[in-house]
Amino acid sequence: MNKGPRQRFSSALAVLAISVVCIIAIIPVLWGLVTSLKPTEQILTFPPQWIPWPISLDSFEKVLYQSNVLLYFRNSVIVTVASLVVSLSLAIHAAYGLSRFKFWGHSAILIGVLTTSMIPGVAILVPLYGLSVKTGLYDTFLGLILVYSAWNVPILIWLMKGFFDKVPIELEEAALVDGASRWRVFYQIVLPLSQPGLVSGAIMVVMFVWNDFVIGFALTISEERRPLSVGLYTYISNYGVEWGQLMAATVIALTPVLLVFLLLQRRLVEGLAAGAIKG
Amino acid sequence: MRQVSANLQIENVPSSVFAMRINWFALVFIAPALLLVLMVSLYPVVDALTLSVFDTRFAQRLDFIGTENYVELIRDPSIYQDIVNSFTYTFFSLAVVLPYGLGVALLLNRDLPIRGLYRTLAIMPWVFSQTITALLWAWLINSDFGPVTHAVQFVTGTRPAVLSSPSGAMGALIGVNVWASYPMATLLFLAALQTIPRELFEAAEVDGAGAVRRFFYITLPLIRHTALVVIIQLTLLYFNMVTLIYIFTGGGPIGETETLALRVLKISFEDWELGRGAALGVFITLVNLFFSLVYVRALRNPTDE
Repeated sequence: MNKGPRQRFSSALAVLAISVVCIIAIIPVLWGLVTSLKPTEQILTFPPQWIPWPISLDSFEKVLYQSNVLLYFRNSVIVTVASLVVSLSLAIHAAYGLSRFKFWGHSAILIGVLTTSMIPGVAILVPLYGLSVKTGLYDTFLGLILVYSAWNVPILIWLMKGFFDKVPIELEEAALVDGASRWRVFYQIVLPLSQPGLVSGAIMVVMFVWNDFVIGFALTISEERRPLSVGLYTYISNYGVEWGQLMAATVIALTPVLLVFLLLQRRLVEGLAAGAIKG
Repeated sequence: MRQVSANLQIENVPSSVFAMRINWFALVFIAPALLLVLMVSLYPVVDALTLSVFDTRFAQRLDFIGTENYVELIRDPSIYQDIVNSFTYTFFSLAVVLPYGLGVALLLNRDLPIRGLYRTLAIMPWVFSQTITALLWAWLINSDFGPVTHAVQFVTGTRPAVLSSPSGAMGALIGVNVWASYPMATLLFLAALQTIPRELFEAAEVDGAGAVRRFFYITLPLIRHTALVVIIQLTLLYFNMVTLIYIFTGGGPIGETETLALRVLKISFEDWELGRGAALGVFITLVNLFFSLVYVRALRNPTDE
């Protein structure tokens, strides 16, 4: 297609428009970062100053050494990793079972499982709180991990079943004939072939758990168990609003997700498009 | 060997004794996940129903009081304000996100230089949690030191205190919500746009259809199904949203941005009226159920002929 002046004008307009969109998308993050790098006296100025100069790491030092943010960070890492392991291992087995065997109640299970993922999180927060108190899992990592896993398993099952369904059954039959056990067939043939699904699912769980606020808010009380998202919120009340420190803590909290996003964007999009919105 | 192939069969299993026999292998694979989901997702729903008909003190169930929790909710006039807020929030967020999300998708679908970079930046807000979004924006529009405040003052001459005026707070909240959630719409629209064959547009262009007509007669009909998915998913997301609102405005000023979902959180974990919180939770679940049914129906018969 040859480009006339009209096309060129419309292209220029499109570039301008998308640039504006991108600027709006990154400005809040940029402003947070700028604030976190300013010395205290430059933070509270009006009109605001866009260039932090001299760059100061005061806010980060205070956050890292004089607050509990590192502790919250550790808590979030523990809960995220454990939830990832638990939910993935439960979901892949269930998905394989549902992909390879037909039995009475098969589709009822599939639909039922999917329906539970439509229950609004906030509506069952109270019973979950009661349940965790009753079972002694209130304010424990295990309590958080179980809830996060249960909330992610349904979508993971559907995601992984889709991938397992595509693995040719002849491959498995051949291996079984050669004497491999069912387990070995699953772990050494089917799983490796479904790796893209595993990666997408894993990212989906990590983002969900790392970003969640309500479950951590409802099911933890002590500093030793509080996840980072809730910790950020309590930061405001505990220290008054120290914006420099709050933004430094925010930058610390968003760095992991930003890294995952930049490195694994394609997989992330696939995983999240698979459906999970809860909370 | 025979048994192997019988077990591996995924299509119609003959309705013989084989099919009815319990397959222990399948059971071991499926049961643990099912058990966890039953305990953590299904049991709480049942529990919420029972809890909602009891008087409670913290996590303790006191007397059976029937529908009193529900009646109390209905009698409380502020609940109606919450309902109105929920719908205002959901409706206006959608009204902005749909055109904006679609517009961004249309832009990203063009042959632009450095399209990859534009795409990355444009959908970046998606990965930030509602907590982080709320904190970043609260600082950005801070009435004393925020750059947005400064820009507005520069243009209009008055310094706005957005979050302390009722309509300002709701407007700002919706704006922030749009910022956080349009990328999802954009990505789904973009995926749909990429399936439309280019020849369709070229043919229409040859026939003399302008850009506007091409959009309304080719693009829009072909992405209707996706638009439906986007609308329903976002409706549920907005209606159930608590974190962003709780952290950004806390429901204030004077309850002007308090939605039903946020009210559940406040009744339950600030007033510790768990029975009433559960009752309101049941109501919200019913609304969700309604939306989900509409969803399933709409997807089952895509109305294009």
